[in-house]
Amino acid sequence: MKIRTGTNTTKIEMQMAPMIDVVFLLLIFFMLTLKIAEPEGDFDINMPIGAPAQSAVTDAELPPFKVRMEADPDTGELRQLSFNGIALGSGRGVFDVLNGEILKSVNALQAAGPGNLDRQEVEIDPDYGLRYENIISAISACSGRMVDGRMVRYISRIKFAPRREKP
Amino acid sequence: MKIKGTPLSVPEVDMTPMIDVVFQLIAFFMVLSKFDQEKVDERVTLPKDQLARPPIVKRESAFTLNFGFERDKQGAITDPTPYIFDGDQKFTVDTVRSRLRQEAAFYKAIGRNVEDVTVEIRADALVQSGLVQELIQICQERDIEFQRFALKATQKSEF
Repeated sequence: MKIRTGTNTTKIEMQMAPMIDVVFLLLIFFMLTLKIAEPEGDFDINMPIGAPAQSAVTDAELPPFKVRMEADPDTGELRQLSFNGIALGSGRGVFDVLNGEILKSVNALQAAGPGNLDRQEVEIDPDYGLRYENIISAISACSGRMVDGRMVRYISRIKFAPRREKP
Repeated sequence: MKIKGTPLSVPEVDMTPMIDVVFQLIAFFMVLSKFDQEKVDERVTLPKDQLARPPIVKRESAFTLNFGFERDKQGAITDPTPYIFDGDQKFTVDTVRSRLRQEAAFYKAIGRNVEDVTVEIRADALVQSGLVQELIQICQERDIEFQRFALKATQKSEF
């Protein structure tokens, strides 16, 4: 029997330079894909042209839910939030109360008939000097709520009331 | 006559340079697309909200109005007047009309219906609501005529 001795083996040289190239490129790739800035979203909103009468019924033929927001004239903070004329209070927690009121109204709308919810509008009526962040909170409270990481939508048609004059 | 041919050797393809180039190209196009999306102005501090979600279908035509305050490096407001920032230029609500007319004229010139263009408003959390409403009203004026509006907010994490 012939036994081969391994004298002919060639030494394999590892080339490190191309590997480092690729590793650095991967590093740049993942650095670029990393989201440093917080993602942005938005809310669609309408604004009626001109200044219709306060009691005007919308083209949806359902009177809009009215969210009135009064501001502290000195600080611009929310002083009073009302939903359909009922005062709900102030502070950050008031938007949860508004969210609850909207849910009750949404349930009533759905019980009244199919399709009502799609036609329903919310009218946001803020004081001129109110801080804008309160508007976003109110729109969010009317739009829906998060349940187990998923959004449950309430009302999608949201509009501004005619602008109030500067105090 | 006997012709001796050289023994055939199997050519080896070195994949490394190709991978290098491919990754370079990917990185290049990613940087390009990032610049394309940069319509934001870092001077504007958006309000935060859980429900703020990007639109499911990307808007065909949209332009952004950054509405905020001049701030120093620490983020403190240095001028109480809010401005609409447009690159190096800035406008107040009273002086922005001409810029909006230009924008509307651009969309008309490229054959787009101005009413289908969405105006994305990136307003600072501390801006007065009345000014945002005023800005929307100016966008709706007769010779500008934008009709669709979206109010931007930063997505607040649930956790």
